Amino acid sequence: MVESRDGIIGGAKPQPSPSIWLVEFQAILQGAVGGFLFGIPLLYTVEVWAIGAATGPRWLLTVLATTLLGVGLLTQVEGFRQSLRLHPVEALLESIEAVAIGVVCAALSLVLLRRITLATPLAEILGKVVFEAVPFALGVALARSTLHGKQGRNRRTTVPLARRLASPTLANLRDALIDFDAALIGAVLIAFSIAPTEEVPLLAASLPPLWLLLVMGASLGLSYAIVFASGFTDRAERRQRGLLFSPITETLVAYLVALLASMAMLVLFQQLNPSDPWSEWLSNVLVLGLPASIGGAAGRILI
Amino acid sequence: MTFAVASVILLGLVGLIFFDWQTNQNRPPAFAVAVSEAVRVTDGRYYVPFAITNTGGRIARMVQVTAELDIAGVDDETGEQQIDFLSGHETKAGSFVFSHDPQGGELTVRVASYRLP
Repeated sequence: MVESRDGIIGGAKPQPSPSIWLVEFQAILQGAVGGFLFGIPLLYTVEVWAIGAATGPRWLLTVLATTLLGVGLLTQVEGFRQSLRLHPVEALLESIEAVAIGVVCAALSLVLLRRITLATPLAEILGKVVFEAVPFALGVALARSTLHGKQGRNRRTTVPLARRLASPTLANLRDALIDFDAALIGAVLIAFSIAPTEEVPLLAASLPPLWLLLVMGASLGLSYAIVFASGFTDRAERRQRGLLFSPITETLVAYLVALLASMAMLVLFQQLNPSDPWSEWLSNVLVLGLPASIGGAAGRILI
Repeated sequence: MTFAVASVILLGLVGLIFFDWQTNQNRPPAFAVAVSEAVRVTDGRYYVPFAITNTGGRIARMVQVTAELDIAGVDDETGEQQIDFLSGHETKAGSFVFSHDPQGGELTVRVASYRLP
């Protein structure tokens, strides 16, 4: 993606200085995206919930301090912001910010997956949030270096412009297919390590009725945010490729791809059998669909 | 066109969630245990197959199935089996193993307890 000096995101045509809040919001969103990518696998780990629930406050502070230190070291190298040169004070502020974004994302995810409910004791909430915030915060710090698509990436299959103009729809269709291919690869990469574990049925069992709708909404929203709202992708390049599908359609189809991939993985690992009731299939596939759709979105901006 | 198809599929899923909520999630778990007559004898032990079905709607965890064999003049034999997850309308099967012939006594198989997730 093209980065201009004055922090304009997007690059193709400089807009008349976007508001500072928008730039700030996008930077935070980019950080959050990195956090989710890095943090989701540990979010689906029963041991981390247990450790968090059984840890004393002193140790939690140690964990937080260690996280801050690790994030600080990463920030020295690569922050999640656009600026390249950092004053030490700025680096410290950015590290604190990264940990804060990690804590907020971890807390929201834990609430979404019902690991934190209104009935959870405060000590347990704190423990779970602090432990889950570790991978999230590291992911935030790494967001910029891991998630920016290579500048002027050369897709192996991208058609030369001349031919693209000659038969636009065919080239568009091919590009769209590559996108969904990338979504599939990303979904499998992230969700494959989660599919055979016990967390999927465990989480699915503990969701109250209609909570699955929230999980669906979060999957779609995160997928959309990663690809279209965070400014990671080069919009100009996407526009030039002439999107066959609108962003909304692409998000919906990519989510369906992620759900199909989740179902295939769960069947492969014998978590779902034909004899299981359909409601179990539905809840398990949707619960694994959350990390799969996040992975699918990452695949679409990276591959 | 693609948008329409994708939306219809996802709305179908949403509909299924609502349907599940209406039909299953409001009903607490209930259990039916079926003990099979086909007792298998191997190496002097008696294997009694059973199948447990959650006839309610909501999923139950840690369902504890106990079996008690009363034979006059012999010590009672007991067996216990725990099933991690049993969703609504799901059936899981297993066996109890006794060293006496269950035909010669009274066998009681029941669900002792379960946990809500």
